[in-house]
Amino acid sequence: MFAMTKRKGDINKKSEALQGTLDLMILKTLQAMGPLHGFGIARRLEQLSEEALRLNEGAVYTSLLRLQQEGWIAAEWGASENNRKAKFYSITNRGLKQLERETEDWERISGVIDRLLRLEGQR
Amino acid sequence: MIVGKVGKLWQRMRDTVRNEPRELEFQTEMEEHLRLLAERYRRQGMTPEAALLAARRQFGNPTLLKEDLRAMQIIPAIEALRGDLTYAARMLRKNPGFAAAAVITLALGIGANTAIFSVCNAVLFKPLPYAEPSRIVTLSERQRDGTLGDVAPANFVDWRDANRSFSGMAAVRASSFAPSFILGGQSEASRLAGDTVTSSFFSVLGVQFMLGRNFLPDEDRPGQNRVAILSYAAWSERFGADRDIAGKTITLDDKSYTVVGVLPAGFQFGATAADFQARSQVDIWVPMALDPQRLQRNAHMLHVIARLKPGVKLARAQAELDILAANLAQQYPEQNKDKGIVAVPLADQVTGSVRMALETLLGAVGLVLLIACANVANLLLNRAAARQKEMTVRIALGASRGRLAQQLLTESLLLASLGGIAGFILALAAIAALTPQLPADLSRAAGMAIDTRMLIFTAVISLVTGILFGLGPLFGPWRESAGESLKQNNRTSTGNQTRLRSGLAVAQIAIAITLLIGAGLMVKSFWALVHVAPGFRSDSILTARLSLPRSRYADNGQIAAFERVLRENLHGRPGIQSAGFATYVPLSGLDNGSSFLIEGRPPLPTGTYNMSQYRPVSPGYLETIGIPLLQGRSFTVADTGESPWVVIINDSMARAYWPSENPIGQRLQFGPGDKWRTVIGVVGDVLHEGLDGEAKAELYVPVEQSWNIESDPTIVVRTTLESGASAAELRGVVSAIDPSIPVDRVETMQQLVSGSVAQPRFRTIVLTAFSLLALVMASIGIYGVMNYLVIQRTREFGIRLSLGATPSDVLRLVLRRAALLIGAGTCLGLAGSALLVRFIANLLFGTAPLDPLTFAAVPILLAAVALAASYIPARRATRIDPIVALRFE
Repeated sequence: MFAMTKRKGDINKKSEALQGTLDLMILKTLQAMGPLHGFGIARRLEQLSEEALRLNEGAVYTSLLRLQQEGWIAAEWGASENNRKAKFYSITNRGLKQLERETEDWERISGVIDRLLRLEGQR
Repeated sequence: MIVGKVGKLWQRMRDTVRNEPRELEFQTEMEEHLRLLAERYRRQGMTPEAALLAARRQFGNPTLLKEDLRAMQIIPAIEALRGDLTYAARMLRKNPGFAAAAVITLALGIGANTAIFSVCNAVLFKPLPYAEPSRIVTLSERQRDGTLGDVAPANFVDWRDANRSFSGMAAVRASSFAPSFILGGQSEASRLAGDTVTSSFFSVLGVQFMLGRNFLPDEDRPGQNRVAILSYAAWSERFGADRDIAGKTITLDDKSYTVVGVLPAGFQFGATAADFQARSQVDIWVPMALDPQRLQRNAHMLHVIARLKPGVKLARAQAELDILAANLAQQYPEQNKDKGIVAVPLADQVTGSVRMALETLLGAVGLVLLIACANVANLLLNRAAARQKEMTVRIALGASRGRLAQQLLTESLLLASLGGIAGFILALAAIAALTPQLPADLSRAAGMAIDTRMLIFTAVISLVTGILFGLGPLFGPWRESAGESLKQNNRTSTGNQTRLRSGLAVAQIAIAITLLIGAGLMVKSFWALVHVAPGFRSDSILTARLSLPRSRYADNGQIAAFERVLRENLHGRPGIQSAGFATYVPLSGLDNGSSFLIEGRPPLPTGTYNMSQYRPVSPGYLETIGIPLLQGRSFTVADTGESPWVVIINDSMARAYWPSENPIGQRLQFGPGDKWRTVIGVVGDVLHEGLDGEAKAELYVPVEQSWNIESDPTIVVRTTLESGASAAELRGVVSAIDPSIPVDRVETMQQLVSGSVAQPRFRTIVLTAFSLLALVMASIGIYGVMNYLVIQRTREFGIRLSLGATPSDVLRLVLRRAALLIGAGTCLGLAGSALLVRFIANLLFGTAPLDPLTFAAVPILLAAVALAASYIPARRATRIDPIVALRFE
């Protein structure tokens, strides 16, 4: 599930679908859990995917940077649970709207795919 | 959507610029993440080493991740620019001498431009302080000789009532006819300078009152006009900034007036640039109250302003005025035949007389900047030669030429920006130094401040300059193929470059010649101006204006009696030699004229008059101010209202009206009902309006025989005291006679003369400064070129010297080359000057635009300075040691 691109120039083209999915998951996580640092986000995603997906967690940070550039999340320095300096990410209002849009899209597409797969099964 | 894109780009740009702290943040964030992961594995029972490994596996490659994050944050072009800038800054730091020379040259050029621009900005470009100033025009009468003049009240009323093009039309008395009032009810007598205006004057200008209101139309009628509007300055200084002043009564000339309004601070009006100055001290405005029953069509004494209706173009309004003028000419042929009405935008009228001088200075300062550009281009070429190897190596290593050009331009623009910043600071200093020197007609510039326009101007010229001189090195040696260039010996000349440098030097000399000729003409013209014989004495003369209250000095008999007592009381005081009175003193800006009839002459054709300037004076005035008596006698105390009526005329008038007769004993009158006055003397001409003016026909009458009431005489005192002491003495004597008489406008004649030539002096000084700057820069330019030439030909000169050439042969060789460049530049410059001088012909006085002296002296001066500059490198060429020269490579 976590993907890692190799070359700089490709970052915006390659595996956009996967990145989109990761972005959506992070947005949803931040909406549900409130401000979290990168490690916390990675733990939450790990939990959700029931440790079935454990891959390069670093990709979380590419996602976080992209979401920041879009203005969907904001970052702030704070102290972590054991009082170390950590950067906390939180979802912005624009991010909430984006999440809403993406959730709708996702549900529509997954519905279509669901029906498509069932159709194949009947043949 | 677009907003989002722009926002993202902006974010990226910000990230690009400050990406170093960002990178550190990532580092911290990732290390923390790895640490937490490892800790978890350790808690699960792994050894620290194994835990760290597992954490790394789970996290992925941090180096690659960092690279990705970095790539997401930057815009490649900006990143390159950052690199170029860092590199350029490093190059400048490594060559502080070069950097300083370039930045100082640019700062001088840009600073001078910014300073002149800000004067132009304040005087020419800044809109007048009225509502929609572009729609305000002035209306003047075109007289039979084609000049524009003031308007007769009857004509003004006809224009105002008949036109359809203007939403409003108003008049103000010409400033020579402006009244002054003595403010009563205060401890010390003080004078208020006044203006009389028609009721719509302030609404035509679109002025918002600070307190109270404008005049009502009903208040603009005779008998109902005891109302006044105060200036902000008068309100705050004379009336204690009383916020409830509207509706209160004040005493002016012993009559009571009701204050109806106060104008906002900074209100100014003038029909011309000089008029702006003349009216800058006005304290109080009262309605003109023209009497509809007794409107004059002969006395021209109004400035008329009007506001164009929305949508009406000036040309359409002018067409209507032409028809109006034709109708009036038919109706009143005697006064209006062959005359016209001319509408000129107020802004043009106000800047008219100074526009040309300022535009000349702006052009000149632009040329100075061009010379500065050439100098910096030369410096850059020198550095380019030194960096030839570096550049060819970079080309050989695969750098594209475009990329190199980009880097060189970055360096040029960095230099230009530094020059621009330094220049801006220099300009601020120059403005601070210039402001007190500003002549009266540039006084609108006194309030100039740093504004965005000035900042934008500096930024734009810095940028343009940077590109201009940055183009030079782009033609540098690396344009040739890399291989060839590397093979080439870097000291051997490349033809292209020498041509470019020589071309720059020739251009610099040509421009410097042009500026020097312009300045030379100005200096010569100013010299001629200040050496004009004005027809009166200007040293040891003090002038001051007195204001006699009309209540106690109701007629000229009482005024003359006061003047006699004052003269007697001054007489014999230490340091005071003589005194006299005149209503209109030369160079004071005050003037009056009158038509007259000569006894025994046939009546003149309809609509034509004998005209003369009109000067009521006291006995002793002509002697005190030094106007020489050429014939006959002067006025004495015996010339009173009861004695025979007499006039003294000036030389011009005598020659114009009695060319072949003796004027003494001839008689004239000022109108059909007037007494006949006998000419008793002829005196010398006076340049009344200014040193660059012409002598006009003038006639002098004794105060008691004047047809006006001369309540505001100016006293002239010839004194050996310095001006402060004599002014104090005068005030003391006046106040001993009548403490209610205010004394103001105390000035020496020298100050009046100096003020009258302030504008030519200003432009002469500034242009001379620019041309000297140009001369120095052009000399540095030719020095640089000759220096380069000598270095390039070191080996050649060495060989020549070793083969038996004498040092003077080599000297001649170098100087001949310099002379060739100087000669070419001089010819070009002279040709250019001959073309350009006609644009400044109108600014010259007593000097032909193609003045042979200037056109001969300037090239000699420039050639001498430029040859001297070339002599230094030429001299070095003669000292070349042949052995060293041969090993030079």
